[in-house]
Amino acid sequence: MANGTWKIARGKGSPQLSIAIVAVLAAVLVVLGRAQSTLFDRARTYFSDATAPMLESARGPVNGIGHWVGGLGEIFVIYSENQKLKEENAKLRQWQNAALVLEQRLKRYQLLLNAVPDPSLSAVTAHVIGRANRPFLDTMILDAGKDQGIKPGEAVVDDRGMIGRIYLVGRHTAWVILLTDLSSRIPVAAEPGHIQAILSGDNTGTPSLETSKPGVILKVGQQIVTSGDGGLLPAGLPVGTVTWDGSQFRASLLADSTAADDVRILDLRTPPEQPPTPAATDLPVAAAGLQPLAPAPNTSPSTQVKPLQMPPGMAPPANPAAPPGAKPGAQAAAAPAPQDAEQDH
Amino acid sequence: MNDRLGMSFSGSVGSALPFICGALGVIIANVPISFLGGLVPSPLLAFMPVYFWCLVRPDLMPAPAALALGAMEDLLSGGPMGIWALSFVVSYAMIDRERDGFAGLSGIGAIVGFSAAMLVAETTAFLVVAATHETFPPLAPFVLQAVVTIVLYFPGLSLLNLIHHRLVGPLRSDF
Repeated sequence: MANGTWKIARGKGSPQLSIAIVAVLAAVLVVLGRAQSTLFDRARTYFSDATAPMLESARGPVNGIGHWVGGLGEIFVIYSENQKLKEENAKLRQWQNAALVLEQRLKRYQLLLNAVPDPSLSAVTAHVIGRANRPFLDTMILDAGKDQGIKPGEAVVDDRGMIGRIYLVGRHTAWVILLTDLSSRIPVAAEPGHIQAILSGDNTGTPSLETSKPGVILKVGQQIVTSGDGGLLPAGLPVGTVTWDGSQFRASLLADSTAADDVRILDLRTPPEQPPTPAATDLPVAAAGLQPLAPAPNTSPSTQVKPLQMPPGMAPPANPAAPPGAKPGAQAAAAPAPQDAEQDH
Repeated sequence: MNDRLGMSFSGSVGSALPFICGALGVIIANVPISFLGGLVPSPLLAFMPVYFWCLVRPDLMPAPAALALGAMEDLLSGGPMGIWALSFVVSYAMIDRERDGFAGLSGIGAIVGFSAAMLVAETTAFLVVAATHETFPPLAPFVLQAVVTIVLYFPGLSLLNLIHHRLVGPLRSDF
């Protein structure tokens, strides 16, 4: 442990000058990192893609040691832990039954109300190959990237709840910014009551909660879920519960980022909203019962329609698309797209 | 000729070993493992070789190498660029300035010297983060990271001594 036993070999030239130049370079790096973050993000993804095999190979043995060391401590509490888990399991089974009943009821109500179906979610499962828990950041590296269809902004969940979101994607690696990170901000809602709030990470285990509207007060124990505002994250992902630390509301997270080995990346595919196709009766000219003065020019002879000839003195029909005496089937065929209108009932 | 080439190759490996140790420290510190359930931040393993070789063989760990290791730490940890790079270099400058004092320390004194260098690195990182985020981050995680790294320097120092004695010296043959 003695440093003094070593012969100190100094380099040639002026080391102080060299250090000064390197210090200036480091300062420039900080400034450039702020100004040209895209450039460094690209370098970062290349670097993570290149080091991914090393991280993956180091993950196995180190994880084994970690589980072994963690397991040693758990031996002493295994009996009480087992009893507690049994009780918890029984309660969870009750909740599962209740959830299944409620899920069926919800589906029935949605059917009755003809509600817009929830956006479809597809997921990619990935291994955690890197994790940085630094004083000012909390990130993860996953072994899935562009090749697996991962995109920035997608939500990352473990088996308990949301853990973070993707912020950088390489070819076969992706970076996750965890909910506890100093830069993390996501829109959430506290249930019941659907109180909108922002979940802000501050590098502690419990991110802070700020309500969007002043005067709205959260309650300890309320469930926090993603609100889905902005359309990037799916709504309703479980996040945690509201707690109070004596000065502000915080979120006790459900997900455990330190224990997560495999996570799922959710791809929110919101179907683009299509405006309903107007029926013939919705068109202003037709709704007013007016006939066009001159038929619209039609260059295609195969689709030319002969103008309707009305006998003298007879008023034109209210709906030109459905002439009097026309069969219901014929009216449906004449209308451009009645399906959308019918679906609204 | 072959002997000369062989000597030159082993010498290069010996010279590169301090930097390789630092790079390994960067990778190991980012492996997803948490022995204490994430209660404390990951140790700054890459800083140990920087401090050690900056003291005993600064020609094997020059300032640009410290900058490169700090930049690697920034890249792989996913944080804002340049924070650890600047911290390592500022700390390196302090060690370089006080090298005679630090090199004379032994036993617990050597750990105290490392603690002082660690304090400089963490303080620099804290200030840069405060400047770049325009808000003061919580101080406790910085202190905890410093404490964890200092505790791990006890076994780390033995390992680095071993590498220096058994590998770097014989490979370079000018030890």
